[in-house]
Amino acid sequence: MNVTPILKIENLGHAYGSFKVIDDISLEIAPGELSALIGPNGAGKTTFYNVVSGRFPPTRGRVFFAGREITGRPAHKVVPLGMLRSFQITNIFPELTVRENVLVPLLLHHRRAFSLLRPLQGEKRLYRQADEVLEKVGIGAHADRPARELAYGDQRLVEMAIVLAREPKLVLLDEPTAGMNPEETTRMINLIKELAARFGTTFFLTEHDMKVVFAIASRIFVLHQGVLLAAGTPEEIRNDPRVREAYLGGGTLPC
Amino acid sequence: MKSKLPLSLLPLLFLIAAPFCLPTYWTFILSEILIMALFAMSFNLLFGYSGLLSFGQAGFFGVGAYSAALLLRHGGDSLWLLLPAGIASAALAAVVIGFLCVRRDEIYFAMITLGFGMMLFSIAHNWTELTGGSDGLPLAAIPPLRLPGLELSLFDPRNMYFFILAVVALGIFFLWRLVRSPFGLILTAVRENKERLAFVGADVRLVRLAAFTIAGGLAGLAGTLFCLFNSMATPDFMHWSYSAKPVLMTVLGGAGNFFGPAFGAAVFFLLEQLITSVTDNWMIFLGAILIPVVIFFPRGILGTLAGYYRERREKKQP
Repeated sequence: MNVTPILKIENLGHAYGSFKVIDDISLEIAPGELSALIGPNGAGKTTFYNVVSGRFPPTRGRVFFAGREITGRPAHKVVPLGMLRSFQITNIFPELTVRENVLVPLLLHHRRAFSLLRPLQGEKRLYRQADEVLEKVGIGAHADRPARELAYGDQRLVEMAIVLAREPKLVLLDEPTAGMNPEETTRMINLIKELAARFGTTFFLTEHDMKVVFAIASRIFVLHQGVLLAAGTPEEIRNDPRVREAYLGGGTLPC
Repeated sequence: MKSKLPLSLLPLLFLIAAPFCLPTYWTFILSEILIMALFAMSFNLLFGYSGLLSFGQAGFFGVGAYSAALLLRHGGDSLWLLLPAGIASAALAAVVIGFLCVRRDEIYFAMITLGFGMMLFSIAHNWTELTGGSDGLPLAAIPPLRLPGLELSLFDPRNMYFFILAVVALGIFFLWRLVRSPFGLILTAVRENKERLAFVGADVRLVRLAAFTIAGGLAGLAGTLFCLFNSMATPDFMHWSYSAKPVLMTVLGGAGNFFGPAFGAAVFFLLEQLITSVTDNWMIFLGAILIPVVIFFPRGILGTLAGYYRERREKKQP
């Protein structure tokens, strides 16, 4: 096993003053792997994602993407390498149509964003690609509607389409099924699994819903009070007494 | 889209016919409306499309005006020099100032642009040796419009009017192409969600800076025209109250509509003409009109009309 990890985190930490939100986190993710970061509320999951994805720099530690150091690089320099993320609260372009939502990342992907005077409608190839991406996530029927009009679950799929348009190698999903009904949740789980299987995309998600985590992830990291408490297969995590202690005060994990 | 074309040609036909049908006085009014329409539309590239409320656009308008006045004073006497120079000098000022503004949004962006606008005003007002101070720089002569085999004096109001109409139409055509380009979509994405845009790989500051520079350059073009039209450049062009004009016009006409700011400029001037002929308290009436527009028609007059028209057409179709 001498594969370069797609994501490698070394001693990552972030502090506000003397308060360490996350501290000394080290982990590696292999390409194609489906892994999840879990932990109780306030464990630091979102902060972890923010420093890894370049929303703000960490106060200590290093981040490598496919062997390249990206510590503290802003998002617009990390994204072109192939690392994309979604947000806990749906983050789309509400007034744009669903198709335009996907055209935006496609324009950036093909370096057409600063094309000033050629008509957008002349970019036939990008329109075709946009429709392909929408079909991929199953919202092709809504292509011409403003994104704000869509149902909540469909808006999350729009965000997924936005992310996929850049042909990512690694996708960080911050609670991809938050606020979804059971049917929408199942659809999202199947989509993530299908994308991983068909395109070899690596997904790394945080999730509250343990059902989702155990349905998707083959490797699980447990974050507790800002530090990595455990890492392992779903089986190992389920039987880890420290995890049970942290999570449910000694009870059992759901599922 | 195609069926709309003849309808949108009507205003253009009116603008071409107007100087032959209306008294000369109205030729002046229409000239000024056209210049302000270009100014307001360039502002709306920032406000309506990119979601940035700039309160300092008069600064760039003034840079364009002074560049024309100074060039004329120092021997540059071709319009083919003055117009590009007006655009370039204002765009240059915008790229420098924009670099310091685009890091912030919303009220902070508005305040920083207001601050820089006031600084430009102070320079124009106080650097007397260069700018003539509060008296401004009068133009000794306006260069004629030299076309192959043709030389038109712009002292003739009708010639001046058509010159302005042609330049403004070109500026608007440029904006029209711009908002329909890939860059135009990226601009609206900045307005809609700058965070999502950054996280699909856009350098949001660079996009904003590009928009700010283009808007500044076009404001400079409008300022150059205004300087030629008025035969002078004065610090008043750069005063913050002048920066408020495109804001008011855009709100009146509708920021979400491409021609909204131009429509707003026309409404603004026509009301001003009408009301100042009766009373000096034009601002009281402007306020009294603006407030209900903002409260009841947040999409502006033209924006509301266009929305109403679209809804009716959609109801008919299915």
